Amino acid sequence: MSEVLVRATGLGKSYPKAFRSSDRLRALGRLLFSRRPIDGMTVLADVDLQVRRGESLGLIGANGAGKSTLLKLITGVLTPTTGSVSVHGEIGALLELGAGFHLEHTGRDNIAMTAALYGLAGAALREKLPQIIEFADIGRYIDEPVKHYSSGMVVRLGFAIIAVLRPDLLITDEVLAVGDEAFQKKCIRWMQDYLDGGGTLILVSHSMYHVQKLCQRACWLRDGRVEMLGDVFDVTQAYLAFQERKSDTSTEPALGTRGHDVEFSVIRASINGHDADTPLLLEQGTSLLVRMQVRSRDGRVPVLMVGIVRADGTPVYGVGSDMDGYRPRALGNGEFAAEVVFDHPLLLPGSYSVRVHPLDPEGVRLFDTWERSITVRGASRELGIVHLPHHWRDPDEAA
Amino acid sequence: MSSAIPFSFARQLILRDLHTRYTGSFGGLFWAVLQPVLQLVIFAFVFVQVFKAKIPGADAPGYLAFLAVALWPWTAFSDAILNATRAIEDNASLIGKVALPRATLVFARVCASFAVHLLGFVVIVLALSFHDDHVRIVRGLLPALALYVPLFTLALGLALAMAALQVFVRDLVQLLGQLLPLLLYCAPVFYDRAIVPVAIRPWLSLNPFTFYAEAFHALVLGHGTVAWTSLVAALTLAAGMLLAGFWLFRRLDRHFEDFL
Repeated sequence: MSEVLVRATGLGKSYPKAFRSSDRLRALGRLLFSRRPIDGMTVLADVDLQVRRGESLGLIGANGAGKSTLLKLITGVLTPTTGSVSVHGEIGALLELGAGFHLEHTGRDNIAMTAALYGLAGAALREKLPQIIEFADIGRYIDEPVKHYSSGMVVRLGFAIIAVLRPDLLITDEVLAVGDEAFQKKCIRWMQDYLDGGGTLILVSHSMYHVQKLCQRACWLRDGRVEMLGDVFDVTQAYLAFQERKSDTSTEPALGTRGHDVEFSVIRASINGHDADTPLLLEQGTSLLVRMQVRSRDGRVPVLMVGIVRADGTPVYGVGSDMDGYRPRALGNGEFAAEVVFDHPLLLPGSYSVRVHPLDPEGVRLFDTWERSITVRGASRELGIVHLPHHWRDPDEAA
Repeated sequence: MSSAIPFSFARQLILRDLHTRYTGSFGGLFWAVLQPVLQLVIFAFVFVQVFKAKIPGADAPGYLAFLAVALWPWTAFSDAILNATRAIEDNASLIGKVALPRATLVFARVCASFAVHLLGFVVIVLALSFHDDHVRIVRGLLPALALYVPLFTLALGLALAMAALQVFVRDLVQLLGQLLPLLLYCAPVFYDRAIVPVAIRPWLSLNPFTFYAEAFHALVLGHGTVAWTSLVAALTLAAGMLLAGFWLFRRLDRHFEDFL
């Protein structure tokens, strides 16, 4: 195992309440004369984290989950309130925009200042300066004050300095989101090259695409705590599924709770034999067997419908027994049963819900809903909801 | 962080600070020399021509030389403290984004102020030497420059403490702007201790700048004497202030980001 570059143990941070000047004075007194910590708002708690040399870690989570605070603690900009964090090696950090540029000074001046913070000055800087300017690629703006820069240009310059200095550990906070397409590509290419060369990366991004592309591991922060830490695919999928469930706006009432007095109702159903209320975990490509049993009040044969929706409510696929010309098997007592098998479904990793509905014999009115969530796991980096069968070939074979 | 970093960083900061002072002006060094000379001319007009100010004593130096050799060190001292007190606050954006040796921010401002006013001091002493034969270049100027070392140390110590406190008490710099002139007027810079009522005279020694004012008078102009005990006291105070300032700064340093 390679050496540990970053080690955080029980790391926590709370910001003091310091809106009024009397609060500030009280805090000052507390800091000078007592060992008691200042009370404040906790934004990060109990974070245990290790990053080894050569690893790449993605930090994900909603706004305000504590990602930037964690980065600031690692870079040493902030002091932890509880726990500790230790870093071995030189850190290059791009926190928020600008990496601490002075707005009144030119790009060139700011390069010199930032480089000085990395111990680079004089001849060594003069040697690197053309490379930095070339990487930033902002033309004559390099001699303009930074206040005239667009936010994209600021990031370009900040990234260029880091890219040329090649620190042991690179920490970036939402850097890729600001640059234009061309610069994003350049950054990603550089980061991949940097990682291939043994560099270590901690990346904050809201783009799961970037996280999956660049990181081996991911850490999901939720309300200042580590919700999940592990393989990048597991964590990003769990995070996305959580996000989708949160934004699920479908307000259909839970019909399953209706009694048996409706015309058609679901008595029981199961997916691959699993009928508990808990989500079912499936490997990507596992066949789905949905078994359902419904009651018809007046003995008429219902149409059964099975649908799969994404956790945010986006329909993926729905099919009714009438469409395939299938009649559910009568069990007597007005009960009917059926099974439907999805052979090796093409669902991509993520969270889904399987729904079962009985409809009237005409297939028009919907009477009941049974719903269970399933999570499909896998390491696929394909985008979207389903895998579409395809193949690649050389264009000259097209004829 | 390697130990060389604070130095290369401090160098950049000092250069930037000096650049900002003379930004937009053509020939920065030209102004740095011209400014003190112009100021000297104004003082000559106001105090010598209008007020007819004189230092009592048969072989006393001219008032202009008397005022200038103590006022320039004071300007360096006061300018350094006022500038450096804002050092942390002004660099909030940098502190929030980059881990850096923060004391360097304060150090750089004190250095920049002293560099500018030390140059001014050399210029006015040279200029005065043509006008007043009390001014001693060889025996006076060089030891006077050595006197800047404890003055710088005292200013740095105070600046570190003030810059750290300024983060928490935002009106501190306004308060300092009022208090520092008070310290100036309570030191024998505009007047000689000899003309102060006898009952008040010993109290002047409590002002830390009194020693420096009188020592500059004694060294550059050969006016008055300075007791060894006050030199020792001044050196002790300067060293003690630096230690205390550094201690306070270190104590509060880790919490700056929370209060900026």
